[in-house]
Amino acid sequence: MTDSLLSLRDLSVNFRLPAGEMTAVDRVSFDVAPGEVLGIVGESGSGKSQILFSLMGLLASNGRVSGRAEFQGQNLLALSPAALDRVRGVTLSMIFQDPMTSLNPYMRVGDQLAEGLRVHRGLSKAEAWKAAVAMLDRVRIPDAANRARRYPHEFSGGMRQRVMIAMALLVRPALLLADEPTTALDVTIQAQVLDLMAELGREIGSAIVLVTHDLGVVARLCDRVIVLYGGRVMEEGPAEAMFDAPAHPYAQGLLAATPRLDDVLTPRLGTIPGTPRSGGAMLPGCPFAPRCTVKIAACETTQPPLAAIAPDRRAACHLTKAAP
Amino acid sequence: MVEIAPPKSLSTFQLQLRRFRSNRLAMLSVAVLALITLACFFGPFFFPFTGEDADFDYINAPIDFGSAHWFGTDDFGRDLLVRVLEGGRVSLTIGFLGAATAGFIGVLYGAVAGYAGGRADRMMMRAVEVLYGFPYVILVILLSLLFGGGNVALFAAIVFTLWLTPAVIVRAQAQSLARREFVEAARAGGMTARQIVLEHIVPNCISVVIVYGSLLVPEVILSESFLSFLGIGIKEPQASWGNLIQTGTAAMGTDLRLLLLPGTLLALVLFCLNFIADGLRDAFDPNDR
Amino acid sequence: MLRFVGKRVWEGALTLAALVTLTFFVMRLAPGGPFSRNRKISPEILEHIKATFHLDEPVWQQFGRYVWGLMHFDFGPSTRFRDYSVGDLIASGLPYSLTIGFWAVVIASMVGIALGIAGALRRNTPTDYLAGVVGVIGIAVPIFVIGPLFQVIFALKLNWLPVGGSDQGWRSLVLPIVVLSLPNIAYISRLTRGSMIETMRENYVRTARAKGIGPRRTLIVHTLKGALLPVIAYLGPATAGIITGSILIETVFAVPGIGRHFVDAALNRDYPLVMGITLLYGGLLILFNILTDLVRGWLDPRVRSDG
Repeated sequence: MTDSLLSLRDLSVNFRLPAGEMTAVDRVSFDVAPGEVLGIVGESGSGKSQILFSLMGLLASNGRVSGRAEFQGQNLLALSPAALDRVRGVTLSMIFQDPMTSLNPYMRVGDQLAEGLRVHRGLSKAEAWKAAVAMLDRVRIPDAANRARRYPHEFSGGMRQRVMIAMALLVRPALLLADEPTTALDVTIQAQVLDLMAELGREIGSAIVLVTHDLGVVARLCDRVIVLYGGRVMEEGPAEAMFDAPAHPYAQGLLAATPRLDDVLTPRLGTIPGTPRSGGAMLPGCPFAPRCTVKIAACETTQPPLAAIAPDRRAACHLTKAAP
Repeated sequence: MVEIAPPKSLSTFQLQLRRFRSNRLAMLSVAVLALITLACFFGPFFFPFTGEDADFDYINAPIDFGSAHWFGTDDFGRDLLVRVLEGGRVSLTIGFLGAATAGFIGVLYGAVAGYAGGRADRMMMRAVEVLYGFPYVILVILLSLLFGGGNVALFAAIVFTLWLTPAVIVRAQAQSLARREFVEAARAGGMTARQIVLEHIVPNCISVVIVYGSLLVPEVILSESFLSFLGIGIKEPQASWGNLIQTGTAAMGTDLRLLLLPGTLLALVLFCLNFIADGLRDAFDPNDR
Repeated sequence: MLRFVGKRVWEGALTLAALVTLTFFVMRLAPGGPFSRNRKISPEILEHIKATFHLDEPVWQQFGRYVWGLMHFDFGPSTRFRDYSVGDLIASGLPYSLTIGFWAVVIASMVGIALGIAGALRRNTPTDYLAGVVGVIGIAVPIFVIGPLFQVIFALKLNWLPVGGSDQGWRSLVLPIVVLSLPNIAYISRLTRGSMIETMRENYVRTARAKGIGPRRTLIVHTLKGALLPVIAYLGPATAGIITGSILIETVFAVPGIGRHFVDAALNRDYPLVMGITLLYGGLLILFNILTDLVRGWLDPRVRSDG
């Protein structure tokens, strides 16, 4: 695909730990089209956040990334720090998990928003401030002109995350990376904040990669889904198709464990037995094999390739039939 | 189900000890400190004279490993090495006992204040704040004058000023512990406040106390030697590192030996204690850098 | 902000009042009066002297008299230096002590912060280790050991600077200032390094990097402020350390500052002088704690609103 905005090829992330090498992300490849909303789902520790961090050059100091990540014609992973700074905060933005600590407590909210415009666009202080206030208004911060002069601790969690969204979208990025942007928030305002993010993304024309463990969120907002387990892609495809008929046993389990409003008859939620593996050496076979209820002998020894099961769907399982 | 067992199990403690043991600098410091302590407490017994016996045939004798006085004598003819060892005995005793006492008082005070909360806590902490506002050395000097000078007065004065920091630290810890499930469970189970403080709050503050308590020891030793140096703490003819260094500075123009021997030993002990404290902090509190 | 300042000043006044009371009664209760050493004085003369200094009055009356005097900035006469008031003695010593203390703090802050930042930015490199060694030496070797050693090396052997005293102007003060700044360099550099490393891991610094703000601007605009706050908070308590240090330094280098007056006064039970200097030290400490809080409040919006 040449029209993709971001294209990952064999992206791997490894961490050097006292106990040895740990692979967090294992040869992941996928594409993001302009304006598309892609959801990445998986349990904690599945490596989903590390993919975003590696793209932003924000991995912890003991982390190593390999592979390619083509974004608007440049390989993000091979850029010099200075060149990366001309991409980050310009055409590529990120929203983090914890809004309580992600804003600078010593700086006025307006200044934090304006900073990016002043550094990257060379706007004057007054112009940048005006744009910042306008953006705060768009994320529905009441009384934005006065609020911009306040410090982060004077904002609630939901407001801070809206400030983060405003800060990320202020530069009108081509791609917005969102790392579980609502897990730290009250359940009652999670939907509100996510809808706002998606809506503004659409208006500005930004593509969004949304990392989450909440399938409900994916179902509502995403065009396409990638299911990650143990640092590997298990299944990939249009959200609708996957929700209708998940192909991979892990995706099936995940879906069975999610409450559905339209299915009041199922008396109890399903669970996936076992716990996600945490780091250590890679298994020779499928990472999900130890917890899989339908595994065959080959699952323990050979890694199933990610194969097309429909024109726009792929799955990595020995049991799913390849598309004709 | 509410878990009733305290969250820190013995295995955590063993893990922390193992982490401490793998710190080479800290372990070396423990060895050196043990060696110096042994030398100070038992060394003087191997000499036929004490640090207060004057040998008039050897006044201001230089270093001579062939003679009875290895590191020579001072201007009263007293053996320097024995005096330094005896001084170390005093400094180390005051250091460890002082830190233990100050730590003990601070832990109890902090645990009670933190667990009690509310008015009692506010009043107790206000008292600590007022004491914190005092210039510490001034307070030690005043108190040691009040207690009439001498070793006990010095000890009391140092303890009286150093229990504040452990109290503040333990109080913060106790405050967060008081809200934990296992304390609530203990309360629901009918334990008295006294039992809860002694059996749940204090034991769970132990690792913080070990870390900060280890920092108290060098502080006490430094205070003691500093006061003795000024002539306010331990006084001649009894030896302490502080007053030996004071004697040494008076003669440093002609004879550095009198300054260097006690000075080196004091610095060495302080080095060791600081490395041990660092090691303990790294082992018990890995999040703190 | 006004409430914040008011609260700090009120707390300081409370501490000062407690200090006045405590010092006064400690000095009165301490065994041995100021004149008990001079055995040759006849009982009549002793009575006379006691009357002159109001030592024959009940303790509470002496206390009232003292507090009354303090309100008029009168610290009373020195019982040892008969011709001088406590105010005179403090005025004669204060310039030396303040000069030494001021420059020691300035040098310690500049060198300490620079070493700490360098260590944090170049972790586990020779720079970092060098800063670490300086830190450990500064903390573990007491200044009453380093002081005499510097005297031997720089005064007696190399003859660059005077051993002590105050008769050679600024040259007399170089060694005292340098020695007094050493332990503070150590503390400040360790504190700065730890705080820098912690702040560099803060999520908001990561946010700044994600915004594509270059490393230089990230450091100056985002990291430094948060990292230096604990260092600034330490400068208040550091005053106490400087006071302790200056007592030792003035003794080691025979500087006629108030620290030396204090030790002499304590040894000779010169009550009014001990109390005068104690109050001065206490007042300075309280003042610096308030100033530190104000600067923190100015830099950290959260402190300000906590009040």
